Amino acid sequence: MSILTYIIACPFVGALLVLCVPRNYRFVIRTIALSAAFLSMVLAIRAFAAFSAGGGYQFTQQNNWVQDLGITYHVGADGLNIGLILMGAIVGFAATCMAREIKERDKEFYLLLLIMTGGILGAFASLDLFLFYFFHELALIPTFIMIGVWGRGENKNYAAFNITLYLTAGALIALIGLIALYLTSGARTFDIVAMTAYVKTHPISLANQNFIFPLLLFGFGILVSLWPFHTWAPLGYGAAPTSTAMLHAGVLKKFGLYGLIRIALPLLPDGAHSWLHVVAFLCLGNIIYCGLVAMRQRDLNLLIGNSSVAHMGFVFLGIASLSLVGVTGAVVVMIAHGLLAALTFALSGYLYQQTGTSDMGKMGGLMRPMPFIGAALVMAMMAGCGLPGFANFIGEAMVLFGSWNAFPLPTTLAVWGGLVIGAVYMLRAIRAIVHGPVVETQTQVKLTDAVSLWRKTPFALLIVTLLIFGIYPSLLTDKIKPAAESILAMANGGTVVPAKARISAGSAAAFEAKSAELKTH
Amino acid sequence: MFDRPENLAWLILLLPLFSAVAIMLFTSKLSKLSARISIAAVVASFALSLVFFVLLGQTETIQVPAINWINVGTGPGALSVEIGLKVDHLSLLMMLIVTGVGSLIHIYSYGYMQGDRSFSRYFASLSLFTFSMLGIVLANNFFQMFVFWELVGISSYLLIGFWYEKPSAADAAKKAFLTNRLGDFGFLLGIIMIWGLVGSVQFDHIQQRLATNPGALGVYSTLAGLLIFCGAMGKSAQFPLHVWLPDAMEGPTPVSALIHAATMVAAGVYMLCRAFFVFQATPAAPVWFPWLQGVSALHVVAWIGGITALLAALMAVQQNDIKRILAYSTLSQLGYMVMSVGLSGPAHAMFHLTTHAFFKALLFLGAGSVIYAVHHEQDIWRMGGLREKLPITFWTFLLGTLALCGLPPFSGFYSKDAILGNARHQNTGLFIIGVFVAILTTFYMFRLIFVAFLGSSRSEASSHAHESPRIMTWPLIALAVPTVIGGIIGIEQFVGKNLGVAEESHVAFMDRFTEPFNHAPLAAIAGLGAVLFGGLLAYALYANAPRDPLPGMIGWFAKAMRNRFYFDEFYDWLIARTQGALSNFAQIIDQWIIGGLFIKGIHGTTEFAGRALRLAQSGSLQTYSFLFAAGAALLLFLFFKT
Repeated sequence: MSILTYIIACPFVGALLVLCVPRNYRFVIRTIALSAAFLSMVLAIRAFAAFSAGGGYQFTQQNNWVQDLGITYHVGADGLNIGLILMGAIVGFAATCMAREIKERDKEFYLLLLIMTGGILGAFASLDLFLFYFFHELALIPTFIMIGVWGRGENKNYAAFNITLYLTAGALIALIGLIALYLTSGARTFDIVAMTAYVKTHPISLANQNFIFPLLLFGFGILVSLWPFHTWAPLGYGAAPTSTAMLHAGVLKKFGLYGLIRIALPLLPDGAHSWLHVVAFLCLGNIIYCGLVAMRQRDLNLLIGNSSVAHMGFVFLGIASLSLVGVTGAVVVMIAHGLLAALTFALSGYLYQQTGTSDMGKMGGLMRPMPFIGAALVMAMMAGCGLPGFANFIGEAMVLFGSWNAFPLPTTLAVWGGLVIGAVYMLRAIRAIVHGPVVETQTQVKLTDAVSLWRKTPFALLIVTLLIFGIYPSLLTDKIKPAAESILAMANGGTVVPAKARISAGSAAAFEAKSAELKTH
Repeated sequence: MFDRPENLAWLILLLPLFSAVAIMLFTSKLSKLSARISIAAVVASFALSLVFFVLLGQTETIQVPAINWINVGTGPGALSVEIGLKVDHLSLLMMLIVTGVGSLIHIYSYGYMQGDRSFSRYFASLSLFTFSMLGIVLANNFFQMFVFWELVGISSYLLIGFWYEKPSAADAAKKAFLTNRLGDFGFLLGIIMIWGLVGSVQFDHIQQRLATNPGALGVYSTLAGLLIFCGAMGKSAQFPLHVWLPDAMEGPTPVSALIHAATMVAAGVYMLCRAFFVFQATPAAPVWFPWLQGVSALHVVAWIGGITALLAALMAVQQNDIKRILAYSTLSQLGYMVMSVGLSGPAHAMFHLTTHAFFKALLFLGAGSVIYAVHHEQDIWRMGGLREKLPITFWTFLLGTLALCGLPPFSGFYSKDAILGNARHQNTGLFIIGVFVAILTTFYMFRLIFVAFLGSSRSEASSHAHESPRIMTWPLIALAVPTVIGGIIGIEQFVGKNLGVAEESHVAFMDRFTEPFNHAPLAAIAGLGAVLFGGLLAYALYANAPRDPLPGMIGWFAKAMRNRFYFDEFYDWLIARTQGALSNFAQIIDQWIIGGLFIKGIHGTTEFAGRALRLAQSGSLQTYSFLFAAGAALLLFLFFKT
């Protein structure tokens, strides 16, 4: 059995065990959940370490499932998903740590949380289209329930309704696209590897590509809060319990992006070429517009939610560039943002627990009473506005470099969004929450910093991982690069000529030739 | 390690980082130990830099093996970034300044910050800053430089906002970081643009490419130059991004000395010198930038520098806070340096940068000593008569002032003369501005001396002032030495080896004192005249003056100068009208159009359908979702079964 199977199975086995424990054995339930998530994380780290860059699909395992339909249990990892699996497992563990805030019906919460974690990891590890979708749904449904039952705030029901509506619609559109893809490819298999190999020699017709690609783009796009289908995200995350927000914003949301890169780009290259310039402009809606919206938020959760939507824009821009640097950068952003989103929601959840509010106007000067949380918040916000040293900088910088040749104008605006707008709201949050004098309303509340090692673990784990990948990016890029290369070889191998470089070495060469010509005359 | 001495260069860079990490993780509760670790690290870096000074000798660069950092792709469109160390005369000079002046300021801080409850955090941030600054200095490519550029930004943010409980300090830190980010926007864009055109971020590659073909940047050369300059505009606080520097004085005074006077703000000038080859490309602009046609980036650089020098000097004339006077003076001197780069004189700029680092660090530390003595009073009109009470501080401060004003034989005279002499040949307008700024400089500095140090005490605190402890006075004396002799020890010739200044100085040592008068007599005489005139003017107005006579003489203009020509107010207004308005607009759209109509619409329809279906269904989310998944599976199954 593949190590990936163990990674996926751990949370599910944990869920089964939790189910068998009576609900008043809370400590046992929590211990089981934490052990399952921890084991899964350790195995994921092991798999990541054992992964050899450029070795194609590794740790594969294939078992027949529904033979008639060509559905198999097929898991495997290449450079594209190995980092995502690692990130998912780390966030899964951190989210389980943060679930201690749940006091009521905690057995059910842990059960759903473990199912969600297992589903996410399964979705990223699947190499079978059906399995891929199945695992995603398995993770998505607990999300809705958790927001509906354990959510907070007066908007809870509306937010749960909203997020359910949007994500179900997105998943449905994507499903239609996937079914259409299955039917038109003619490969008669759900196996992604086999399907890709088949399409390589038998390209899907242009008309079909142009019809299926937008289905996948917008279906997956809604799942990733592509502008203007983003409003569910800040609202939903604002109402969600901490662990759910961490897992969804951090990991599950990346499913759509992963689907776009893994399935839509290589299988539908021509469709991609005719649609990606649209994406390059829509992503500005995320980066600029949602950044501007984030600037106006008074509620910390809404600010983080909007900023998380804004960061997704960089991934879309990287994908749209169809350049090796851009797509590699996009995957790095996916991993880095997963860790960061989990970190910021964990911090926000912790602050909510302590101060009883997420209104930034009612906080202030929290650095003095809570030095650890304050420092972690400053680091998280700085990572969010692209400070070098954190992995987010590497990913975003690579996306910007990669997209420059194809889309100079959107890139320019994205640089503005990343460096200036991002910094405005992130620094505003720091200024409002941890700097300045302690606000009066806070002096009556007893604020406790995360002092014990156990309390610090989820925060420290996420920060350290961000720092490791930020300081030593080749850990990720060397693994992602070969996988991105093979996907781009297919994506750029379509019949349509790729977007012409406007400001590139090519145009400089043309300029030189022109000036040489002028000189001779 | 010892068979490859060049690898020691890594230690120079990494020692301060180790210190910062060690303090943060292990010694944050042991404040004395933290300070000692931090001081030891920077002193060791300084000692190693001296070793390299000997090693470098006459060779142009020392090759240090680099680390491959990011490497994606091959051929055009590939991004390969290394972390490398470029040790040549230019970077070595800067390393010596950063670690040398830095060492003295670290030691001084040990006295000045005594008793602060975040002593360890202070030294950790200081070490982090030293590391980041050395990273900029040693960078061998644009990407690496940008990385450390941002790290310097965050160190500065942490240090300006060191007393974050004070709202003014927290605001100043935020303002500094954001203003710098505006500059970085251009800087990063410029780097990406150059990478797009040349295919590399490595300084050596770009330089070679441009040397063989000055047109390699095509029609984007002027634009690329200006974008790169944006970075310097932010970090070196050039007009119109100068507003953050005076506010940055909210940080502890030694920080102002190290970061906002001697080193970090000089990074912009250093970067322009390092990347000077970008500005040597043939000027050209794309057709969709009509106003850039025929303009060279250097021209803009020179004028921005000149304008900054003039504006800042005018603002300094009417400030009353001792640190703010020095801050505006720093702005003004940075303007000189940038102007000099713009006038194709990077070696002169580096020369002035060096002497300025000495005397401005000295002046700030002197100001710190005064502030310490008068119990954190910063208004010069509440000081007075400090000469007798703080003799060491006074005399070293006076030496610094004379050097800043540019009186021979102090260092500032020679470096300022190099800039003015160059301006005299290149651009008469800027030369006149330069001389006028020199008059203003002497005027406001002697205003400070007359009011704060001479005359009689104006407040209780200043009449009971005592000289600072020895740990604070001896860095002053140590800085006074290069302040005096810095002009004649051949700094310009040293750094000129990398900046294409061919002239080798064969002037005998004693003749170096008078060399400017032989070399460019007009500039030298104008500079000297400016000092005398400014000094006399200050004497006439401020010797024993009970209060400032200037507002009575020039009225509204004095008020405008004191209010920094209303730049901050204007920017607040502008930001509210543009970004603020856009942001409000986006928020409204989001809340009412997309979030409102759009969703409520779907909500309404669905609700209707829901009511209809409720007859058959329970309406619970779980059931819906389950049925949905089951339905999808069923459909698929039926479809393929046939």
